[in-house]
Amino acid sequence: MSDTIELLNAIGQDATLRHASADELAPILEQAKASEALKSAVAAGDSSLLFEELGHKPNHAPQITNAPGHEEEEEEEEHHDGDHKPHHPSEPDHHKPHKQ
Amino acid sequence: MDTLTTPPSNDTPRGSLACVGMGMTLGSHLTPLARSHIEQADVVFAALSDGIVELWLQRMHPDVRSLQPYYAEGKSRMVTYRQWVELMMTEVRAGKKVCGVFYGHPGIFAWSPHKVIEVARAEGFAAHMEPGISAEDCLYADLGIDPGRLGCQHFEASQLLFYERRIDPTGYLILWQVGLVGDLSLKRFSTGPAYRQVLVDVLSQDYPLDHEVIIYRGVTLPIQKPRIHRIVLRDLPNATLTAEETVVLPPAAPLKLNLAMRERLMELDKAYSVA
Repeated sequence: MSDTIELLNAIGQDATLRHASADELAPILEQAKASEALKSAVAAGDSSLLFEELGHKPNHAPQITNAPGHEEEEEEEEHHDGDHKPHHPSEPDHHKPHKQ
Repeated sequence: MDTLTTPPSNDTPRGSLACVGMGMTLGSHLTPLARSHIEQADVVFAALSDGIVELWLQRMHPDVRSLQPYYAEGKSRMVTYRQWVELMMTEVRAGKKVCGVFYGHPGIFAWSPHKVIEVARAEGFAAHMEPGISAEDCLYADLGIDPGRLGCQHFEASQLLFYERRIDPTGYLILWQVGLVGDLSLKRFSTGPAYRQVLVDVLSQDYPLDHEVIIYRGVTLPIQKPRIHRIVLRDLPNATLTAEETVVLPPAAPLKLNLAMRERLMELDKAYSVA
């Protein structure tokens, strides 16, 4: 069985494959010995079918902060941190639930 | 002859930082230079929107540290972003060559990359940003919009609720992160129909309620198709929408000639013998 990440990378950088239809990709994936998960995901147009093989790691996208009040909080912290002392980041909150 | 003294050794590596964009689509968008930054780094931090793209990144470097676990429902995103900055700076201060990898463009709708570069430079470290193909770039291609034709305003959706902004309905209006519009707490990853209704009420001052709204989501995997869903403005509150979806309002009115300025320009043309 071919490596699914490598096959996705190959599809992503090939001008023909990147915009090929599911029907066009099917024999190519068959020939490349793609995993059942990848073949199913392409056939169904549903990339979530890849989770079975690659696992599902829900990632959050938002990276912007835009709420009034939080900027002031930042300013205040900057005054306190003006000495540029090294900080030690805290550990991630593994115990807290995540949400897609 | 005086004995020459050996200058103090300068072998201690000096930390440095590069924040690079991964682009949006696995395999398609990563620039050669961004890839080089990743491969040459001592440690790579990743803030990517897709877990499978993160697996791809792990193929490029043996020490990829995901920043995703620092997010948590009920925890201010501001706290999370500051943690990200400190995580990266701790390694820079330790003399490491650090690469922060962010989905899309690292400088668009992203607080931490700008902040960590600012902090690193203030402490005397080399730091820079390497652009990537952003969700905005994909949107123009997938929806066939040229922002230069009629103009284009971009807002993080909550800005329209938190602040008094001037919308120009003769150009495109592009609203980001509508799925969590109105979240004052910074602790949620979605709000809901009632919050979106407030947004619709603001937008209805400039757009009719039956005005077309396009819900767009670009692809992160090359086997996906972009999501392009057209509804009318009044249906926005109950539409299926996540933070990754972008809302586009096409122009609602034609461009209006500025007769006074055209007159003035014609006078200038006459004066400079252009006409």
